[in-house]
Amino acid sequence: MDTLQLLLNGFAAALSPVNLTFALIGCILGTLIGVLPGVGPAAGTAILIPITYKLDATGGIIMLCAIYYGAMYGGTITSVLLNVPGEAASVVTCIDGYAMAKRGRGGTALGIAAIGSFIGGTIATIALVAVATPLSTLALKFGPPEFFGLMLVGLCLVTGLAGRSLVAGILMTVVGLLLAMIGIDPVRGAPRYTFGVPDLYDGIGFIPVVMGLFGVGEILATAENPVRDVVRTNLSRLLPNKEEWKRSFGAIMRGTGIGFFLGLIPGVGAIIPTFISYIVEKRVSKHPEEFGKGAIEGVAGPETANNAYANASMVPLLTLGIPSSPTIAVLMGAFIMNGVTPGPFLFTEKPELVWTVIASFFVGNVLLLILNLPLVGLWAKILDVPYQYVCVGTLLFCVLGAYSINQSIFDIWVMIGFGFIGYLLRKLDFPLAPAVLGMILGPQLEKSLRTSLEMSAGDFMIFLTRPIALSLIIISLVILAVSALQLAPKEIREGSAD
Amino acid sequence: MKLGWGIATSCLIGLFGVALWLAVWGAASLNSRPLAMRDALGPGPGFFPVWLSIIGLGLGAVLLLQVARQPAQSDAPSLIPERAACARIVAILALLAVAALALDPLGFRIASFVFSLLALVALGIRSPVRILAFALAASIGIFHVFYYWLKVPLPIGPFDYVLKPLGL
Repeated sequence: MDTLQLLLNGFAAALSPVNLTFALIGCILGTLIGVLPGVGPAAGTAILIPITYKLDATGGIIMLCAIYYGAMYGGTITSVLLNVPGEAASVVTCIDGYAMAKRGRGGTALGIAAIGSFIGGTIATIALVAVATPLSTLALKFGPPEFFGLMLVGLCLVTGLAGRSLVAGILMTVVGLLLAMIGIDPVRGAPRYTFGVPDLYDGIGFIPVVMGLFGVGEILATAENPVRDVVRTNLSRLLPNKEEWKRSFGAIMRGTGIGFFLGLIPGVGAIIPTFISYIVEKRVSKHPEEFGKGAIEGVAGPETANNAYANASMVPLLTLGIPSSPTIAVLMGAFIMNGVTPGPFLFTEKPELVWTVIASFFVGNVLLLILNLPLVGLWAKILDVPYQYVCVGTLLFCVLGAYSINQSIFDIWVMIGFGFIGYLLRKLDFPLAPAVLGMILGPQLEKSLRTSLEMSAGDFMIFLTRPIALSLIIISLVILAVSALQLAPKEIREGSAD
Repeated sequence: MKLGWGIATSCLIGLFGVALWLAVWGAASLNSRPLAMRDALGPGPGFFPVWLSIIGLGLGAVLLLQVARQPAQSDAPSLIPERAACARIVAILALLAVAALALDPLGFRIASFVFSLLALVALGIRSPVRILAFALAASIGIFHVFYYWLKVPLPIGPFDYVLKPLGL
C-alpha cells in the first residue's frame, strides 16, 4: 500500500468520532498545561498519562500527542500576557509578545502565533509524511553500531547545547545514564545498583523522575516567587492588519523551515529553533530596531518554528525510536506503556496505528486553531486563577500520576526526591534535559554498544570500519568540540538550558 | 555557585557538592566491581557501569578543579530564598511526604483532601470556605474521574463504607 493510501486510511480513523474526541480533549488539556505557569509540557504530558490507561493504544497516543502540541501552543498565552513562558520554548515570545501586549496588541500577538503555529505545524506534518517512509526504510538497514552512533549524536547534541557549560551538560548526561542502569541488566539479567532494595529491581521509573524534575521542581521554583502580573490588553482584535500580514508571511515561512529541519535532528531541544528563528528575523528585518519593542515578526517566526519543531520532532521518534526532547521522551515512554515501540519497525508492524497518529497531527492542528482563536479570552481568564490552586491541583495530579503507573508508593517517593533535586538543579543552573534523555536512551545505548561488541568479538574497530557509524561518531566528537570551544552562537548556548 | 553568604561559604558548598558527586560515583564504582566486565558472549553486565564510573570519577576531578579555580564574585545573586519562600518550599515537600505516607492507610480521597487543605493554608489562602470547597472538589473529583470513570486503581482506604453511601 502506498503512503497516500495509508495516510487516507489514517485520516478515516483519525476523523472517527471517538478519535476526534480524544484529539479535542488532548488539545484542550495541552493548551491548559501550556497556559498554567509551573506546568511544562514534559511534566504535563507525564501527569496526564493515567487518563489514557483505559483507552486503546491509538486513542491514548492520539490524546497524548495532542496534549504535547497543545502545550507547545498554550505557552504562548502566558508569554504574551504574563511575560512568563508557560513552557521553555516560549521564552523568546516573551520579548516581543509581551511588548505587543503592553501596547494593546496582545490579541494580534496571540492571533499571529495561532495562525503561524497552524501553518508551521501543518507544513511540518506534510514534510513528516514525505520523509517518514524513506527514513524508516533507511533505518531498517542500520545495525547496532549505527544505532549506537545515532544515539551518541543525540546525547552529544543535548549535552553540548544544554546551557552555559559543557561540563554541566556532561554531568547531567552521565547522571541520566547512571539512573538508567539501576535495576536488572537488559542483556544478561544481572541486578545492578539495587543495593538489595526490592523496589529497585525494576529500575527507577522514568515517569516519576520526569514528574519530579519538571513538575514538582517547577512548582517549588514557582512557590519561591509566586507574584504574577497579568497585562490587561485588547483581545478583541486577533487578526493582523495588511501591513502585519506582509511582515509576518516571510517570518512564518522561515520559521517553518527552521523548526522542521532542527526537529529532524535528535537532541535539539524545542528552544533552539525559536531562538534561531528570532535571530534570523532580526537580521533580515527592515526594522531591526523594533525588535524588543513589539515587532510582530518576533512573535510569528519563533512561534511557527516552535510548532513546526513539535511536529517534526516526531520524525526521529517514529522512524528511529530516538526522542529529541524530554517531552518527546515522555511520549516515547507512553508509547511503550501502550505496547507500541517507536522505531523503524513501527511502519511495517503497525502501519494503521502510525498513520492514524500522523493524520491526527493534521486534525490536531486544525482543532488548535479553532480552539485558540475564538477562545483566547477564555484561556486568558485562566491566568487569573490564584497560583496556590494551580500549585495544589498540579501536585495532586503528580501524586496520582506517579502512583498509578505501578500502584507503588515508592514511585511517589522517587517523584518527591527528584522534585527537590530538580529544584536545586534549577537554582544551580544545571540543565535537566540531558539527564532525562540519558535516562531514556541509556538502556538502548548500552544494548547497541554491547551487541556491537558481541558482533565484533570485543573489537572496538567495528565502529571505525562501518562508514555510517564512523560518520556519526565523528559528528558527535565535532559537536562536543564545538561546544567545548564555545563556537555555538551565544544566544543558543544561553537559551537552550532545557 | 554563589550563595550570597560570602565567598568562603560558597566555596564550602562547592566542595560539598564535589564530595557528594565523588561519593555517589565511588559507591557506583564499588557496586559495579562484582559485575563481570566480559563473559563468553562478549561484554558483561559490568562493562557499561565500570566505564561510566570511570567517566563519573573523572568528571569529579574536573569539578574539583573548577571549584578550586572559581573566581570570587561577591556580587553574585543569592541562591537561598527568603524565609517565607523557604517555608513554602519546605511545607510543600513535607506535605507531599505526608500524602505519600497516608495514601495506603487512609485512601486517596482522605489523603488528597488533607493534603489540599493543608497545602492551601501553607501557601497563604485564608478563606475557610474556599479551602474546604477546593479540597473537597479536588480530592473527590479526581477520585471519581480516575477511579470510577477511567478505572485507574487507587487506594480506597478503610472509610469507603462511609464515603460511598454519601456519594463521595
